[in-house]
Amino acid sequence: MKTAAVLIAIMLLASTASAQSATSAPVKASTSARLSDGQPNMQGLYTRSGVKALEAEPPFNPIDPGDKNPLSVSNRGDGLGPYPRIFGEGGNVLRGQQARVQRPTGIIFPADKKLPWRPEEDAKRRQYLLDMNPPKDLRHIELNSRCALPGLFEGEDGNNPYTILQPPGQVVILYDYNHTSRAIDLNRREHLGKNIRLFMGDSIGHWEGNTLVVDTTNFNGRVAYSREIPYLSEDLHTVERFTVVNENTIDYEVTIEDPKLFTGPWKVAGAFARASKDVESLEFACAEGSQTLQNIFGTPPAR
Amino acid sequence: MTKSKGSIKAAFVVAFMVCLAEIPATAQTAAARPATINLPRTADGKPNFNGIWQVLNTAASDIQDHSGQLGMPPGQGVVEGGEIPYQPQALAKKRENLANRLTADPTEARCFLPGVPRATYMPYPFEIVQTPDSMAIRYEFAHALRMIPVNGSKHAEGIPPTWMGDSRGHWEGDTLVVDVANFNDQTWFDHAGNFHSDALHVVERYTMTNPDHVLYEATIEDPKVFTRTWKMSMPLYRRVDKNVKLLEYECVFYLQEERYKNAPFK
Repeated sequence: MKTAAVLIAIMLLASTASAQSATSAPVKASTSARLSDGQPNMQGLYTRSGVKALEAEPPFNPIDPGDKNPLSVSNRGDGLGPYPRIFGEGGNVLRGQQARVQRPTGIIFPADKKLPWRPEEDAKRRQYLLDMNPPKDLRHIELNSRCALPGLFEGEDGNNPYTILQPPGQVVILYDYNHTSRAIDLNRREHLGKNIRLFMGDSIGHWEGNTLVVDTTNFNGRVAYSREIPYLSEDLHTVERFTVVNENTIDYEVTIEDPKLFTGPWKVAGAFARASKDVESLEFACAEGSQTLQNIFGTPPAR
Repeated sequence: MTKSKGSIKAAFVVAFMVCLAEIPATAQTAAARPATINLPRTADGKPNFNGIWQVLNTAASDIQDHSGQLGMPPGQGVVEGGEIPYQPQALAKKRENLANRLTADPTEARCFLPGVPRATYMPYPFEIVQTPDSMAIRYEFAHALRMIPVNGSKHAEGIPPTWMGDSRGHWEGDTLVVDVANFNDQTWFDHAGNFHSDALHVVERYTMTNPDHVLYEATIEDPKVFTRTWKMSMPLYRRVDKNVKLLEYECVFYLQEERYKNAPFK
């Protein structure tokens, strides 16, 4: 009977212990420097800047919104401009606190901004751009116009904020832009199998001090880097570094490797600035994705 | 030796019976969930909903009882009481939607965002992201996304109506309650044509009944369409597959690829 008492006592102790941990004092995680799983706390609403930048000697771009370009959509003269400005193409408008500008941003390697294109691939993409306006076929329409997921580089600098949430074991980035989201898994070490292809890729990450290092593969070969680089291939592999500089600033750097298109890696730098109090996250449904193609190509045959 | 053997056997019988007494009965409502089920909890003491969840019902086809048809599995309805209390003119509109659903269903025919609560019971997984002040739900279908402040804030004013609603969460004990308002009238509740107006107001309740199941309840209020409030309820099942991850179902993109593959037309 002594053994029975010990067994019952053990079971009662076990359930009491769990109840105690459940009712221990709650942690107000949102303002502390470290979260419950040890991650540096960079949660909040941010605007991004600097990531999208022109390479040296950019190709002629018939989609360019510049007023000087007679082919640009804002000069169509049919009342559909200033379409690009509505979507914030006019520049980096930071509604939040000003990010530090001391660091170089945009393409930082190679320093001369001449990207290491494979010559035949550079020639292909220059022709591809010419075939985008007027568009030769569906493939030559910008993904932004189709409301497709933007990948890591598009998604708006300045006009559509980003929300960072950090539940245990993850960093989740929510874009206002086209209601996009990325979940960066801190506990997984292997990427998805090579036959799963995603616009946003598959991201796994780990912290090195105050820097979140994110490795992403499994892209689908359709996402753009910018207007002038309208696609990166399925072989794209990126390594991003998000460095928490202070409570209002995250420095951002991404190394882009795409051996199909380039002979070597290149690097881009930018920053996230914590948004000011009047900036709100709003729904960006992108329902136009279902109408734009009809405007461009005409009504498709009935299903 | 014989006496101590008997004592040990008696001890096991007593211990076993104590354990049996702690196993809850199967048919528990949310309120009566026994305190002895230990839920996973976050550092701030709340049930931890982080993870990937999915329904196992066919409510996306029809939230009421429906028999099978070619390509459509049967299902028992998720509407409590079975009836959806339409106003007479609204019932006529539902029947018209049903008849035209192949082209009129905004989600199935055009890949528009599914709204709330349809996003919950689309046959695709979704991921709940939970932090103390702020939650989000990421849906695999059409990368739909909802942000849910859990910071006491009220619904935003002066913003246009939305597809996925404006969500504000708070806790009632261990239940997450999400008040959703400011909808547009562009979404349906299912492929059977059940619909709402821009006066829709939804109150969701997420109650974790054990670590891998959530009781999901959605109360529907829409004075332009229904004669009273009504409610859906269903279990959510945690996706416990190894390395499970939300992937992409880019409905709009796939639809465009099919419809415009021979573009241009003009």
